[in-house]
Amino acid sequence: MFPPVIKDAVIYANLILMLAIGFTLTYLIAKIPNFAHGTFAGIGIYTTFWVARVKHMNPYISPPIAFILGAIVGASIFLVVIQTLRKYKATPISLTISTIALNIIMVALLNIYADYVRESTEETIFTRGFQFRRLDFRLFDLPGVLIATTILIVFLILSLHLMLTKTKFGIALRATVENSDLATMMGVNVDRVSTFSWFLTGGLASLSGSFLPLWFQGNPGTGNLLMTSVFAASILGGINSIYGAMIGGYMLGLSEILITSLLAKYISGSLAAYRMLIPLTILSVSLLMAPTGIMGIVEKYREKKATIARKEIETTPEIKAEIEKEEKERVFVEREGMKS
Amino acid sequence: MSLDSFLVLLTDIITFYAAYLIVVIALNLQYGYAGIPNFGLAFSVAGGAYITGALTGRIAMWYYGVDSGLDFIDDNSFITDILNEHLANDPVGGLTIFFIMLLICIGINALLGFIASYPAIRLRADYLMMTLIAMAEGIRVIGLNYRPLVGATFWIHVPDLFAWVGEYRRIVVTLLALGFSLLVLFIVHLIVNSPAGRLLKAMRENELTAESVGKDITRLRMKTMVLGAVLASFAGFWWSILSGVVLSAAYTRTDWTFWPWLMLMIGGRGNNLGSALGTAAVILLRRFIIYYKHSLEQYIPFSVVWLESILLGVALILIITFRPEGLLPERPIVVRGIKDYRRFLDKVKNKVSRESTS
Repeated sequence: MFPPVIKDAVIYANLILMLAIGFTLTYLIAKIPNFAHGTFAGIGIYTTFWVARVKHMNPYISPPIAFILGAIVGASIFLVVIQTLRKYKATPISLTISTIALNIIMVALLNIYADYVRESTEETIFTRGFQFRRLDFRLFDLPGVLIATTILIVFLILSLHLMLTKTKFGIALRATVENSDLATMMGVNVDRVSTFSWFLTGGLASLSGSFLPLWFQGNPGTGNLLMTSVFAASILGGINSIYGAMIGGYMLGLSEILITSLLAKYISGSLAAYRMLIPLTILSVSLLMAPTGIMGIVEKYREKKATIARKEIETTPEIKAEIEKEEKERVFVEREGMKS
Repeated sequence: MSLDSFLVLLTDIITFYAAYLIVVIALNLQYGYAGIPNFGLAFSVAGGAYITGALTGRIAMWYYGVDSGLDFIDDNSFITDILNEHLANDPVGGLTIFFIMLLICIGINALLGFIASYPAIRLRADYLMMTLIAMAEGIRVIGLNYRPLVGATFWIHVPDLFAWVGEYRRIVVTLLALGFSLLVLFIVHLIVNSPAGRLLKAMRENELTAESVGKDITRLRMKTMVLGAVLASFAGFWWSILSGVVLSAAYTRTDWTFWPWLMLMIGGRGNNLGSALGTAAVILLRRFIIYYKHSLEQYIPFSVVWLESILLGVALILIITFRPEGLLPERPIVVRGIKDYRRFLDKVKNKVSRESTS
């Protein structure tokens, strides 16, 4: 029904979107880029591996487990490492370095797990470069992972939007993003909001990773390779907005696969190997043209419109008269005050 | 341990030390003094190595007029053998090619450093971190796939430019590399103790203040990035010459970005002596782990590679938590003549006070 490239692109875009939302969320709350984010996806990848290969169960049991596992890892990283560093008055750069250090440790642990499984089981199984397309179900001639991730994405975006705009906790979260000191003064428990953001981030990244081996190859380092795309997605959408991450994630995921396939088709097949350079180019170009991303442009446009509207209101005769009257009254009151 | 095996051990350690010391000094200039967190060091190191690998052999082929009907990548070991025979009796040719390569390496890597940091140089440090880490991954993708550069997933040989030294070639080249890295250390030391170095520190402490006294922060940052890129590329240059091969897959961010970061953080940022000390400590530890790999593997149930990674991560976290200033903390800059200036000021003050009292 669809050409296979479209399937690739949509699945990839769904996965990148999930990762980009989490990356942007921690960036907004903690004000540091979390370089360990990709490896949270690695946790999901190996959860699926464990479910499908070691336990021989349906791979769709894995996502909820992966979500919980990743969320716990995310929250404990925040509580154990980031909070300790904050207590010792670490600079933002030190905090960033700590996420890199955690990334190295996590990749090493995943590799140790992969080695361990390979050596401990009698049957030979590939613990690196695995892929479970055959275990996936098909519906209307579409791969199950495409349908599952798309439904999940719609659900995720709706529930995130409702949480951010309708619930008290979501408003507290947005307040923390705007100004955490001020939010603390208004009675927001910033620590709880931050813990939740790391919980959600870890969970979403791991969830994204748990779907990955159903279509793409999984490795201990796959998450790291995805990071360039995630950076590009967040910056393209606008790193200061969660909605930006949604737009950017989808646009980047689609364009990365589609542009690569177009280049491979029309110029040279060998160009497909340079896929990673496309998010890099998008990253550079969007930093040069619009560092605030798509949401930044939208914001600017809105502001412009608002100022034009304000000016229009100010220039209508009745309101102009009213403003002048108010001004006169103010001047009069001031004069009276000075006399007495 | 016999003298020979001890010499082998020593040259091995010095090889690593010389290459890593240059990278750590470049990082110290960028992060320690200028406050630019460069997580794309591997970019410049790979740049230096790829340029050396791709061009040394080709230039030597042109210099000696070796038959150009041969394919540089396919017949690489054959070509390298021919070139090494030529170079074994020709010190002038070897040194000429060496200095030409050094100049080319400086030129191209300055340009590469400029390109890599250009998109994000005006923006906050976070953007620069993300861009550079992605750039380092990008250059590796090119190296791994573009065959004419350094043979994609295979490796290519670098002709031995010091083949004419003869028997003690390895030791001589290692010492040369060490001398070169100490020279780099000395030059950076001079730079950071000059007014330019004080300006870098001013930028690190407060960009707004530096800008308010008329300094162009963006340009200064760009200059630092380019200088750092050139310095870091020397590591790739020497590494290729010392090992004689360029393997495109070897320039990973763990090896050439994160280990140097650990060395800098352990030694102490903003202190050149500290960087030298931190590099020595980490190199010795890593070499120790490699030498006792077999005995270590009996005690740990997994590969030593991952033990190294975990050690790197844990050490990095511990050092930034408990001793962020490193082993040798940063010291105030010694300005030449500051004592004379103070004495002069005191004299003036005394004179003024005497005049006012009389």
